[in-house]
Amino acid sequence: MSLAAEAFVSQIAAAEPWPENATLYQPLKEDQILLSDSASSLAVQTFLRMCGLPVQVSCRANAEYMSPSGKVPFIHVGNQVVSELGPIVQFTKAKGHALSDGLDDVQRAEMKAYMELVNNMLLTAELYIQWCDDYTATEISRPRYSSPYSWPLNHVLAYQKQWEIRRKMNAIGWSGKNLEQVYEDVSQCCQALSQRLGTQPYFFNKQPTELDALVFGHLFTILTTQLTSDELAEKVKSYTNLLSFCHRIEQTYFKEHDREGQFGSSHHSKSSLP
Amino acid sequence: MAEPMELQLLCWGGDWDLPSVHTDSLVVLAYAKFAGAKLAVKPVDWTWRTITASVPQLYYEGSTVTEPTQILNFLRKQSFNADYELTAKQGADTMAYIALLEEKLLPALLHTFWVDAENYANLTRPWFTSHSPFPLNFFVPGRQASLALSRILLTKAESPLLNITEVEGKIYSEAKECLNLLSHRLGNFRFFFGDTPTSLDAFVFGHIAPLIKAPLPSGQLQKHLNQLDNLCQFCNTILKNYFTDATTEKRMDYG
Repeated sequence: MSLAAEAFVSQIAAAEPWPENATLYQPLKEDQILLSDSASSLAVQTFLRMCGLPVQVSCRANAEYMSPSGKVPFIHVGNQVVSELGPIVQFTKAKGHALSDGLDDVQRAEMKAYMELVNNMLLTAELYIQWCDDYTATEISRPRYSSPYSWPLNHVLAYQKQWEIRRKMNAIGWSGKNLEQVYEDVSQCCQALSQRLGTQPYFFNKQPTELDALVFGHLFTILTTQLTSDELAEKVKSYTNLLSFCHRIEQTYFKEHDREGQFGSSHHSKSSLP
Repeated sequence: MAEPMELQLLCWGGDWDLPSVHTDSLVVLAYAKFAGAKLAVKPVDWTWRTITASVPQLYYEGSTVTEPTQILNFLRKQSFNADYELTAKQGADTMAYIALLEEKLLPALLHTFWVDAENYANLTRPWFTSHSPFPLNFFVPGRQASLALSRILLTKAESPLLNITEVEGKIYSEAKECLNLLSHRLGNFRFFFGDTPTSLDAFVFGHIAPLIKAPLPSGQLQKHLNQLDNLCQFCNTILKNYFTDATTEKRMDYG
């Protein structure tokens, strides 16, 4: 959103409290959603749970097109629509719910830096593996992405998305990497996160912040999604404190809602951590 | 290390009191100084390599390494390690801050130097044109500018921000926030992790030094950076302590 629009939204947001019927939209869970979108969606859901804000998850085939920025997930609150974790965090802050208020300036700088690290490395690696690795793209990404549509639209949309992502990878210099280097980058990123987490329960000791939500979203999705090979999940599993971090957040924020079928199993994802 | 090393670095030449005007080259040069590695610096100015080589590039005994992160890893393997005193957590912080620089500051830097019409026409293009051989001087600046623009648009301009003017506002505000965050993190210390410079210092130096030193006609980001005294101080300290030989040599050439 442009700066003026953001300021306007914040003003409107501050006017009303959080309604009961807030909804989060994401692509279809069983057949359509891909690893990177699933990770982003889970990060937002975790963040909202950490704030104690109720939200219903609604799966739509055209979620990507409904979103104001073209990215999923997005939330529909009152009469406003906000997409992506960054703007959603600002939006909830304007409504008076924030997780990172207790941090001082240096810690906030660190938190932002680590969030960029996750976006820069983990998310980009997920996109690379999904769309630039030919085998995964053919077996998983293209069929899933285009599953709600009939021929020939499904081919057109899938190839268009793939072309768009490959262009982006090219612009940031990732197209020259091979799969091994990408796995290595993921491993280094996990190592950095693991060292930062240490033995603490959350990244900034006792209180969870949006960084915890983001890291949980990505790591949990990587661990519970079946791709063509298990190597990505193996890289994450080798860091035991990250595994226990994911378990802890799953237990604290998601277990009591498990009966509502939030994590219904499908052949694409397993329901809980191994 | 006792044996002589012949490490050759290809990079862009220097100007405005800097050893190089190119961010990535500056990062490598700074790190080499911090780690005590002797580099034979070969500027690509006025050679065909301005268009053929991907700069910076390190040659050592037949192997070639490009990209600052890879070059730094290679230097570390050769025992030129400026980070050996860092704790594991500080090493993780380094990675995180470098990601922050790349995501938040780099688009605005690219925009300031390559997309902003006044700066490009009055500073960047003449400089790169005058430092490229004929007939490449017609192509090199244009190619760099279009690469910069496409990078900004592909990574930052998601719909509905489809044109460059709306993206500008967003990237400059993110860059100013990033500079503020760096300034908070640096505080009153000489370097980011205490008294000795590390790879993070090299990366930050490489990104902000051109912004501080270049005589930009229209530089809102530069004005913002000049208000952050500790970052300007940081940059000048590094130049004074590690690069004075280069700048005094240049002055002697012209004197």
